[in-house]
Amino acid sequence: MRLPANLLIGGTLVALVLGTAALSLVWTPHDATRIVVAMKFQPPSWSHPLGTDQLGRDVVSQLMVGARNSVAIALVAVLLGGGIGTALGLLAAAVGGWVEEVVMRLADFSFAFPALLFAIMLAAVFGPSLTNAVIAIAFINIPVFARVARASAAQVWTRGYVLAAASAGRGRAAITWDHVIPNVLAPVTVQLTIEFAVGILAEAALSYLGLGVQPPTPSWGRMLSEAQTLLYLAPQLAIWPGVCIMVAVLGFNLLGDGLRDLSDPMLRRAR
Amino acid sequence: MTLLILRRLLGFALTLLAISAAVFFLMNVLPGDPAMVILGIESTEDARAALRDQLGLNDPVIWRYLAWLGGAVQGDFGVSYSFKVPVAELIAERLPMTLALAGLATVVTVALALVLGVYAATHHGRAGDWAVMAFSQLGIAIPAFWLSMLLVILFAVTLRWLPPGGFPGWDDPIAALRALILPATALALVQSAVLARVTRSAMLEVMRQTYIRTATATGLSPARVMWRHALPNALVPIVTIIGMQVANLVTGTIVIENVFYLPGLGRLVFQAISNRDLITVQAMVTLFAAIVVTANFLVDLAYLWIDPRLRART
Amino acid sequence: MLEVSGLSVAFKAGLALRGAALTLAKGERLGIAGESGSGKTLLGLSLLGMAPEAAHVTGSVQFDGQELVGAPETALRSLRGQRIAMVFQEPLSALNPLRRVGDLIAEPLRLHRGLSRAAALDRAAALLAEVGLPDPTARLRQYPHEMSGGQRQRVTIALALACDPDLLIADEPTTALDVQVAAHILDLLRDLSTRRRMALILISHDLRAIARVTDRLAILYGGDIVEQGPTADVLAAPRHPYTQGLIAARPVLSASRDRRQPLPTIPGNVPALADLPPGCRFSGRCPVELPHCHSTRPTGNPACHREAT
Ligand SMILES: Nc1ncnc2c1ncn2[C@@H]1O[C@H](COP(=O)(O)OP(=O)(O)O)[C@@H](O)[C@H]1O
Ligand code: SF4
Ligand SMILES: [Mg+2]
Repeated sequence: MRLPANLLIGGTLVALVLGTAALSLVWTPHDATRIVVAMKFQPPSWSHPLGTDQLGRDVVSQLMVGARNSVAIALVAVLLGGGIGTALGLLAAAVGGWVEEVVMRLADFSFAFPALLFAIMLAAVFGPSLTNAVIAIAFINIPVFARVARASAAQVWTRGYVLAAASAGRGRAAITWDHVIPNVLAPVTVQLTIEFAVGILAEAALSYLGLGVQPPTPSWGRMLSEAQTLLYLAPQLAIWPGVCIMVAVLGFNLLGDGLRDLSDPMLRRAR
Repeated sequence: MTLLILRRLLGFALTLLAISAAVFFLMNVLPGDPAMVILGIESTEDARAALRDQLGLNDPVIWRYLAWLGGAVQGDFGVSYSFKVPVAELIAERLPMTLALAGLATVVTVALALVLGVYAATHHGRAGDWAVMAFSQLGIAIPAFWLSMLLVILFAVTLRWLPPGGFPGWDDPIAALRALILPATALALVQSAVLARVTRSAMLEVMRQTYIRTATATGLSPARVMWRHALPNALVPIVTIIGMQVANLVTGTIVIENVFYLPGLGRLVFQAISNRDLITVQAMVTLFAAIVVTANFLVDLAYLWIDPRLRART
Repeated sequence: MLEVSGLSVAFKAGLALRGAALTLAKGERLGIAGESGSGKTLLGLSLLGMAPEAAHVTGSVQFDGQELVGAPETALRSLRGQRIAMVFQEPLSALNPLRRVGDLIAEPLRLHRGLSRAAALDRAAALLAEVGLPDPTARLRQYPHEMSGGQRQRVTIALALACDPDLLIADEPTTALDVQVAAHILDLLRDLSTRRRMALILISHDLRAIARVTDRLAILYGGDIVEQGPTADVLAAPRHPYTQGLIAARPVLSASRDRRQPLPTIPGNVPALADLPPGCRFSGRCPVELPHCHSTRPTGNPACHREAT
């Protein structure tokens, strides 16, 4: 079978981002946070391929650590929200009745709170922090995954062999484990991939606004917010962090589209 | 039909109520002491207790919510801790700027997305279609605030055609408009990416329908077939996405105002956060969420306006 | 009035229409019959210059001396609806669901005839009366979904008639309708053609429908016109093996009034475009096939190697 182009391109970009993030754990050209004021605004050179920033920090090293932080935050937040949401969706489909009603009503209702609004509330109460950003991103993922999981789980619950198992006295939890979860895995994986992209965008925006990763930890969003005050002096600093965000988001989006085409060729809807 | 609208209206009111409650309880049940924020760390516990009493913070939270809600429906959101003026006044002062930005961005978004989406659909599988799809993928992947910075580098720093940020006020409408061009463009380019994609796929779906053939067979021009027969039928999914995008528009506006130092609600909320001005943040988050809910309510009404088959169901 | 010769339509997968030839005089009624997938709709669309974008159309369609194959889009557009009109297969989805019936019919009248809105609506009401819809003025304000299938089909016919075409192509106008309603629609089409001296091409896989309405009949299979002649003659004495099979497959009239019952059919299906044999399209399914049928294309009327010998 021929692999769809979006899967190949997306997979390559994602591998690039994940590889960079992994590499940064063991090696970066320089210490990403070391300030050497004498070396500020260096142009690209062998030692600093993308130059240095206003405090003499190496841009490449910061981007690498930024990749690690972005990926880690998106991963933790999306897995957290996705896990809770999927569990709720499975529960709703398995139990039905008022439980399902309540879960789905809450999911409908939560659209009114985008991640940024949630992060703003948390920041106002607790002060800005990375934890708040993670909670906010996780929170908006709960209803998304609850819907996806419930929709595919509900389909499984109408199938003959599942009804047969139920009437043979098999418990709902056991049926969920044996039959429902294997069928929900594919759509949830596709959604996870797409939501990683959303998560990376959200982390970047929150960190840019000062509601996410706090100094001195490097992050793409933070690098951009620092670069913004220097647009006249050093516009080059505003380029690369944005390119990194774009590559990561594009990669996860294309990969998600590709996975969906692969798992579900009949439903090749444009999102 | 009237019954239908009334029912929607009731649902809308209940959602608004639920939202105000959710925001209130989240921000008041969570730990945090406004008295400490107002008086500072060096204040005595006695002074803080007195202030809490005066602010009514010792009453049961339900009671405080009802009091707050009672005020809110009359346009009284309390007095800002940090600005020492009524929150309603703060909001009213900054609302026009934000509305102008969001409105301008929306108009450009919808116009751009419809033109691109229809163009891509009518050139399905050809170079123009690919270009629109590529634009769409890129637009989805680019953060609006970064695009803003690129626009500033190009049009303000390098070409010096437009101001890099700030707002001159409404006294000089031309200058005000010039200050809004870059922020609105950044928002619109990003938002129209998704919408163009949805328009394209909705149009492709509609163009396969027999009534499009019928229209062509009566000798109508392709433009008339597209815009008068196909597009209206594609509007239901398009309007749905527009409704969903209002949430993005609200957050996008908050972010963009901070990029361009525009004195709107987005700036205000960040000033309030750094002052730990809970009562102001609470009013504003409620307001933002209410805008999103209202937009979705309007989308529900728009369905009825678009499609007579939905009107028929009461 | 209409002269089609050597009309071919090529897709990537192969030829979906292979050198079709037809003539039609003013006011004449022609039936086109054949199984699903034999190219009937495509033939109708080609006469309007509306073949799908992926299609490559060659040959000649002369309408009152004007060549339509390769004619510029604007020339075709001024023909569509005004000289040649077409009613499509699915009556339930053939009308824009968002527009009132009156506005739909008024639209071409206002655009092509320059009528005012009020005049166009008056004319639309007259058309609705002509196609036999009671209370036409009230109908103008209705939406398609407020009407039954038969009523909607009458509206599509009224829409097609709006600018007084000289030729009406009706593509399976009765498939989705029940027997009673179908009969009324067929009678309506025949009467309209007589009254207006309007030529009619009735496309159908239902030979009874064709017998009821048309003077002449062409049988289409796999993109080839395999046989044509006066309707009564072809039906009474079919000469091409495919026509014979088609007539044999016809349900006995008294057997059932319910069309939803499976029809007895010729064994097998029309092969996909890419799998059609290069010679006689019917070879492979033909009960009296000759060795060279698969590779050599038969000519003549009927187009069959059995006839030629
Ligand atoms: N857009 C298209 N692309 C490729 N093949 C097509 C297209 N439209 C029609 N065809 C082919 O043309 C043939 C005739 O189709 P059609 O005219 O719809 O048959 P009928 O109306 O007799 O059922 C079919 O084999 C079909 O596969
Ligand atoms: S040409 Fe041959 S295959 Fe075709 S109909 Fe005649 S006998 Fe049958
Ligand atoms: Mg057909």
